[in-house]
Amino acid sequence: MAGLSKGSVAALIAAAAGALCLLLESSVPWLVKFPAAWVLPATDWVGAGLEWFLALIKPTARAFSALMFYPMEAANFVLSSTPWPLIICATTALAWTLGGVRMALMAVVGLGFVLASGYWPESMNTLALVAVSVPLALIIGGGIGILANEYPRIRQPVQAVLDIMQTVPTFAYLTPLLVLFGFGPVVGLIASAIYAAPPMARNVLLGLERVEPEIKEAAIMAGGTRLQQLFQCEIPSAGQQIMVGVNQCLMAALSMVIIAAVIGGFDDIGWEVLLTMRKAQFGQSLLAGSVIVIFAILIDRMSGTLTQDRRDKHDPRVAWGILALGAAVSAAFWSQVQQPGTYALFNPVADSVDAGLSAFTSANAEVLTALKNNVLFYVLLPVRIGLDQAVLPFTWGFAWTPAMSLWLFAAGAAAGAVCAIRGRLALGVMLLIAAGILETGVSQLPWPFVLVGAGALAWVAGGRNLAILTVVLLSTILLSGLWERALLSLYLSGAAVFACAVMGGAVGLASAVSPGIWRVVRPICDMLQTIPLFVFLIPVLMVFQIGEFSAFLAIIAYAIVPMIRYTRHGLVSTPDEMIEAATASGATKWQMLKDIRAPYAAPSILLGLNQTILYAFAMLVIAALIGTTGLGQSIYLALGQADVGLGISAGAAMAILALIADRMVQGFAEERRKALGL
Amino acid sequence: MTGSDTPAITCRNVWQVFGNNADSALKEALSNTDTAEDAAAELRGKGLIPAVQNASFDVKEGELFVIMGLSGSGKSTLIRCISHLLHATGGEIRIDGENIVEASPKRLIELRRKKLGMVFQHFGLFPHMTVADNVAYPLRVQGVKKKQRLAKAQEVIELVGLGGRETNYPRELSGGQRQRVGIARSLVADCSVWFLDEPFSALDPLIRRQLQDEFLEIQAKLKTTIVFITHDINEALKLADRIAIMRDGKVVQIGTPADIVLRPVDDYVREFSKDVAKGQHARVASVMQEGEHHVYGADDPGLRQDMTLDAALARCMELYEPVPVRTPEGKLVGVVNPADLAAALQVEQG
Repeated sequence: MAGLSKGSVAALIAAAAGALCLLLESSVPWLVKFPAAWVLPATDWVGAGLEWFLALIKPTARAFSALMFYPMEAANFVLSSTPWPLIICATTALAWTLGGVRMALMAVVGLGFVLASGYWPESMNTLALVAVSVPLALIIGGGIGILANEYPRIRQPVQAVLDIMQTVPTFAYLTPLLVLFGFGPVVGLIASAIYAAPPMARNVLLGLERVEPEIKEAAIMAGGTRLQQLFQCEIPSAGQQIMVGVNQCLMAALSMVIIAAVIGGFDDIGWEVLLTMRKAQFGQSLLAGSVIVIFAILIDRMSGTLTQDRRDKHDPRVAWGILALGAAVSAAFWSQVQQPGTYALFNPVADSVDAGLSAFTSANAEVLTALKNNVLFYVLLPVRIGLDQAVLPFTWGFAWTPAMSLWLFAAGAAAGAVCAIRGRLALGVMLLIAAGILETGVSQLPWPFVLVGAGALAWVAGGRNLAILTVVLLSTILLSGLWERALLSLYLSGAAVFACAVMGGAVGLASAVSPGIWRVVRPICDMLQTIPLFVFLIPVLMVFQIGEFSAFLAIIAYAIVPMIRYTRHGLVSTPDEMIEAATASGATKWQMLKDIRAPYAAPSILLGLNQTILYAFAMLVIAALIGTTGLGQSIYLALGQADVGLGISAGAAMAILALIADRMVQGFAEERRKALGL
Repeated sequence: MTGSDTPAITCRNVWQVFGNNADSALKEALSNTDTAEDAAAELRGKGLIPAVQNASFDVKEGELFVIMGLSGSGKSTLIRCISHLLHATGGEIRIDGENIVEASPKRLIELRRKKLGMVFQHFGLFPHMTVADNVAYPLRVQGVKKKQRLAKAQEVIELVGLGGRETNYPRELSGGQRQRVGIARSLVADCSVWFLDEPFSALDPLIRRQLQDEFLEIQAKLKTTIVFITHDINEALKLADRIAIMRDGKVVQIGTPADIVLRPVDDYVREFSKDVAKGQHARVASVMQEGEHHVYGADDPGLRQDMTLDAALARCMELYEPVPVRTPEGKLVGVVNPADLAAALQVEQG
């Protein structure tokens, strides 16, 4: 074994485990399907333990909830009773101060659209929630960030907790909060504050850590006390990074407030989307979704200007003028501005969208169904349950026979052998494994093989510790009885991530090669990243109805963005010196891309893949709303039944999968970076 | 240099060790071994990093003391020990007789407000403050009223030649200008001990020379005690009253610029002086054959033993025979072969 690389050894071990499982499949059935008798009632234990704990802090929580009721009511009252011309003008004035004419125009047009759509009151309700939850999140997050910076001892644990909070799916937060705070808008408020605090904490900590050591030393040598150093020098120096935190905090809060509508059921814009979606009024749903998107874009772009290095000064007199105009209009037309919800200028549009949509779907029914069925029957299903069960005369036109399995394995082995002879043993063995997985199907992989395979992969990516962590964490899923659902989640997100990697990589490459393409792709990426998760479901549902395929598409739409961005960024950020050296050596454009840019971009592309995986997991739970099986569905079900044990366990299982994938890819990226000396 | 017996700065057996449990590890290593070398070796063996080892020296009041060494030699760590940005792991550091290693945090703040000033290699300017606010910051933390502190800041801003740029932000200044801000800020509180950590290393050669000259003028005016860090031997020789040379955490030689060039204690120090325009620092005495009985030629270009090599060579360019060397009083002390003069310059300039 001495001559084998780490990768080859790991691949061989995994292949051996897989082969063993296949051979013993008939004689030792528990190898393939984990016996139900071995499953620990962990879900119930978690539920019982948590319920005991929640009951303990419930009085405090309810008191807090009662306390939060007042600022929320106040915000609600202010926003809903202020006449709309004044709100629009105030926002425009703020936009002018932040970003000049362009930003002000954006605000006017955006809010004008909201007003015309008739969703003004609902929007104000949503904004009231955001207006209370964001300051809460900023204070909590900022406080945590500063404390973690002051006490290095708690920095590590805080980082770890923040990491985990980012991977736990949003819905999983909601169940315990539901038990603690009861139904109603306050849950949404608190959920969004909890969800939005980590990005703030992260950025504050990062910003403070990145303050140049000499600036910190200069503050010390000036004779400042610790508080003076912190508040007069370090925090202002970290201002830009902290503003990135504020921006992310705002976006997270908005996104969560809308998701919380699933349980909140109060008169806000998220609820409106959900309601119309359930009634299949897609035109209206799209309209309400657009309102959300407008708010997301306005909030993002306006707070985004705060993160810029050098901001232009804009004349404050203009801002005051706009504000005065708003007040004047409100006063002059006092009686007419009282009912902003009555405008419904876009209803005809929504109706025609509905009509057009049904015309479109019925006219193209064949094409759409064919597309959907082809992907389902020839791609998704085989990956899910394996060729041996997915190939049926009904869909494929012939039945799968054991002989075909043998042929498949033989083909895999032959391809693997060719690779092995050419000196790429690891690749060869992986081809063989891939053939095996395709034959068996991801959701029916024998559990010993998954444990060994994941452990081996983790060992290659991050050494012994990661391998142990991976096996232990996966075992907890196995023992808790969520294994099958976890594999289903793994299959769907795996398929989506693979699709994202291929398509996103291609688009990223094209954008890197041609600036023209990037000019088109970039705004689309910006747009997709600003849209709250929820809204992705609408257009997919419109065309493809409820089902796994729609979920698959929604996940791809959301998760493809980082892959595109990071691929392009990695490819174009090769240092000029390296490009010049390659040009001087006489490399063609393609050689440059293949030999210089691609290897240099590898760590960046891997990071993109990492983000894509995390995004896919995040979307998986949202996609459960429109029909997926697996952990996402469990979390959603738990929410409906207020089943804390199931909700938390399924959320934890999801977080475990995301965490393992994250650590592995990070491990590979780290290795590449080291190899390149970055 | 005013007449006081206590040195402005005293360092005795200063150690700075990085790693886990550095304090106890250092104590243990010192009690186990006899020499600093062995103690350092033991610490290294345990995976700790002895960045400064057993440094001892005095800096007199008003003296310009330069610490020189390559990167990683521990010079920046040492200056951070003295200014107590790092807590020295072992040893004693006295500033005007007061041991600052044991000073309370409160006392340290007081010391920094009244006595110490520091300039940083990458300037360490606060990006969110204007030039005037940056310079006035040490007064602001003391609670000086805005009007007063800006007036005082204006004085030092004029002193460093930045008048007219008070309302600029650091990002709008060139490197040389930024360091002027750094210098002004360190001077605003009338410090008596001034630390400069490679203040000119990040600047272009021309700007560097200009700032060095201005720095010497400021020093002549203020007469503060200065600890100056550099990796540039020419800068050290130009500025220093005395130089300490560091290598791998140890102070290997302390002496005047002439000592360092003429009497290097080892090859490491000699390597440094190779880069120096030796003709301007080495004297005739270093290549002379001593004694009165040597044979010499008919020409006597009038060499003195304390002449620099450059000056001596200029006088006997065309001569081939050995020439006499005399004291200023005219007494013969030895002879020098013009060829040796030239050879000394050639070889040692490498």
